[in-house]
Amino acid sequence: MFEELLEEIAQENALRGTNTYLKLTVGLGALLLSLLSAGFVAPLFIAFTMTVALLYLARIDARTLGEAFAAPVSFAILSVAAIVLVSGGSGAVWIWQPFSWLSLSVTPTSVDYGIYVLCRTLGGMASLLFIALTTPMTDLFVVMRQCRVPPVLIELVMVVYRTIFTLLDQLVRCYHAQVMRLGYSTRRESIRSFATLCGAVFIASWNTGEDQIRAREMRCYDGRLVVLGETRPVEARPALAAAGFLLAALALTVLSGGVTLLGGAP
Amino acid sequence: MSRIILEARDLHYRYPRGGEVVRGISFHVRRGEKVAIVGPNGAGKSTLLMMFNGMIRPDSGTMLYDNCPIAYDAHSLRRLRKSVGFVLQNPDQQLVAPTVYQDVGFGPANLGLSEEDVKSAVQRALGAVGLEGFEHRTTHQLSGGEKKKVAIAGVLAMEPEVLVFDEPTASLDPRGSEEVMDLLDELNDHGTTIVISTHDIELAYPWAHRAVLLVGGRILQEDVPEVAFGDRDLVRRAHLSTPILLDLYHELAERGFPVPARRPLSVLDMLQVIDHAFEQNTCRAHPGTITVHDISVAGEEGLASWLAAHPGARIGAMGTRAKQRAAAEGIHLHYTHGVVDKCILRALLGEETAIMTTGGMVKRVVERVEEYSRQGGTTIPVVIADRP
Repeated sequence: MFEELLEEIAQENALRGTNTYLKLTVGLGALLLSLLSAGFVAPLFIAFTMTVALLYLARIDARTLGEAFAAPVSFAILSVAAIVLVSGGSGAVWIWQPFSWLSLSVTPTSVDYGIYVLCRTLGGMASLLFIALTTPMTDLFVVMRQCRVPPVLIELVMVVYRTIFTLLDQLVRCYHAQVMRLGYSTRRESIRSFATLCGAVFIASWNTGEDQIRAREMRCYDGRLVVLGETRPVEARPALAAAGFLLAALALTVLSGGVTLLGGAP
Repeated sequence: MSRIILEARDLHYRYPRGGEVVRGISFHVRRGEKVAIVGPNGAGKSTLLMMFNGMIRPDSGTMLYDNCPIAYDAHSLRRLRKSVGFVLQNPDQQLVAPTVYQDVGFGPANLGLSEEDVKSAVQRALGAVGLEGFEHRTTHQLSGGEKKKVAIAGVLAMEPEVLVFDEPTASLDPRGSEEVMDLLDELNDHGTTIVISTHDIELAYPWAHRAVLLVGGRILQEDVPEVAFGDRDLVRRAHLSTPILLDLYHELAERGFPVPARRPLSVLDMLQVIDHAFEQNTCRAHPGTITVHDISVAGEEGLASWLAAHPGARIGAMGTRAKQRAAAEGIHLHYTHGVVDKCILRALLGEETAIMTTGGMVKRVVERVEEYSRQGGTTIPVVIADRP
C-alpha cells in the first residue's frame, strides 16, 4: 500500500529543468499524433521514443516505469484480444462458433486492427506518462497562470494539491498504526479497520481545513496566492530534439497511414 | 530601557464548553527582548500566544501592541499580524502552499506587494534561514527541520517586529533545535523581539532575557531566568524541573562551598563556579587567542591563510551567512551553537580558536569574551582578523 507517487517521481526527474511548455508540446503533440494516426507504425515509434526518453533522458527507474505501464497495458491487451476475436473479416485462420449468435474468429484484418489499437494505446499511454513523469503539478501552476486560468481555480487546485499530501501523510500514519496492532489480520478486522481509517481521515481532513484557515489568517490572507512566475528558458538542443521527434512522428503518421502488418484492411 | 511593545493587562479566556485557561495574566515584552513563557502542558501558553496577534480575543482584559489596545476589526488585525509574526508548533499546520516559493511568498503577496517585491522578500527570507535554492521544492517533501525553517521564512518575509514561536524546537532533532535557536539569536541580534513558549526549561534557561513561569493559566513567577527558575519549590509547583546547572550550583552552595553570587547560565559559567568553589584557576595554561573573522568584510585569502597557519584549530560559525560560507568553502565547523562560550573553554586550555561571523555579531563576541575576562580574572586575547 502507498507506493511511490507519480508526482514525487516527477519532482525528481532529470528533465525537471527543461522548459515546461516544451515538454507539454512534445507530450501533447505525440498524444495527438498517436490518436490521428491511421497506421500502427507512427504510434509504435512514439511509444518507443517516449519510453527511451523517460528511461534515458528523464532517468526514470525502469521498474517504476514498468509498474506505471502495467495496469493500462494489461487492460489494453484484454481489450485488444476481444477486438481480435470479435471484429471478424475475410480469410479466417481460426474460427469457433460456441453459439448460433456468437462467432469468434481470427483473421488477418482483425489481427491488424488489434495491433493498430494496441499501438495507439501504447503511444497514447507513453505520451501521457511522459507528461506525468517529467512535469510536476507545481510547474503546471505557472502554465495555468500564464494561460490566464482564473486565479480562483488555480488557488483551488493549489489548496487541493497541498491538502492531498497532508491527508496522505495522515492516512499512512493511521494505516501503519493499525497494521502494527494487527488491524488487518482477519477479513472481519480488515473491514472494521478500513472503516476506522476512513473515519480518522475524514476527521483529519476537517482539522486540516481549520488549520489551513487559521494559518492563512495569521499571514494576512487577502485572496492571493503567488506562483513563481518563471519558466525555464527554452534551450537549443532540447528544442531541436523535440522538433526533430515531432517532425519524424508527423512524417511517419502521414507516410505510414494505412500500412498494416499482415495486409489486412486497416 | 527600551519601550514596551506587547502588553497583557489582566487577560481572561475560557474555551467554549471548557474551563478557564487564562486567568488574569498581566505582563509585558520590551522591544528587542527574548522572552520565554515556560510551563507544563495545558498551562495556557499557546492560548496566551494566540492573543498576541489577535487569533484569540480575550473574554476580558486588554492586549496592547505598541501601547495601543488591539482592535479586532479586519483592517487592524491585518496590520497587527504583519507586525507580530506567529510560528506554530507543527509546521505542517502552517504551510499553506505547494512549493517553498509559494508558501514564503504567501504573506508578502497578501500584503499587496508587487511580484518583484514578493520575489526579493522570499529570497531575503530564505537567505535568512539558510534555505537558498529551495524555491522550487515542494513543501511536503521537506524534512521536519526544513519545514520549520520554511515556516519561519514565511513569517520573516512579512518583516515582523515581533516573532512569536510556539514550542520552537518541538519534534526537531538536537542539531535542528540548535540551528533554530541559533537563528532566533541571530534575528534578535538584528533587532527582532522574540517570544517563545516551551516546556523545555533547559532550552529556555540559557536563552531568554526574561522567563515567565505559567501554571494553570496564571503567572507563577516572572524574572531573569536565574531568578525565575532559581526557586526549586516554585519550579516543582509548575510541574517542571530545575535546570541542571542551577541544581549543581545549589548543591555546591548547600554543602558550604564558596560560590559566586552570579548563578551559572552556561557550562563556562559553571566551570567558574567550580573553580571558585575549589579555589582553583580555570585557566590551566597560557590562554589561547580567539580570532574573529568578519566574513562580511574579510577577503577569502585572510581566512584561508589563517586556517593554513593554524592547522587543527577549532572553528565556530555564528549566523546563517557564516555557516553558508563555511559550507561553500568546505570548512569543517566544530561549533555551530553556543560558539563564544565553547571557544572560551578551548582558549582556557591554551588552544587557538576562530569564530566566523558577520557585522554586529562581531561586537557581541568581543563583549562576551571581555565580560568573561573581567569576571573570571583571566584575560583571553580576542583579535578581529583583517582589521587594523
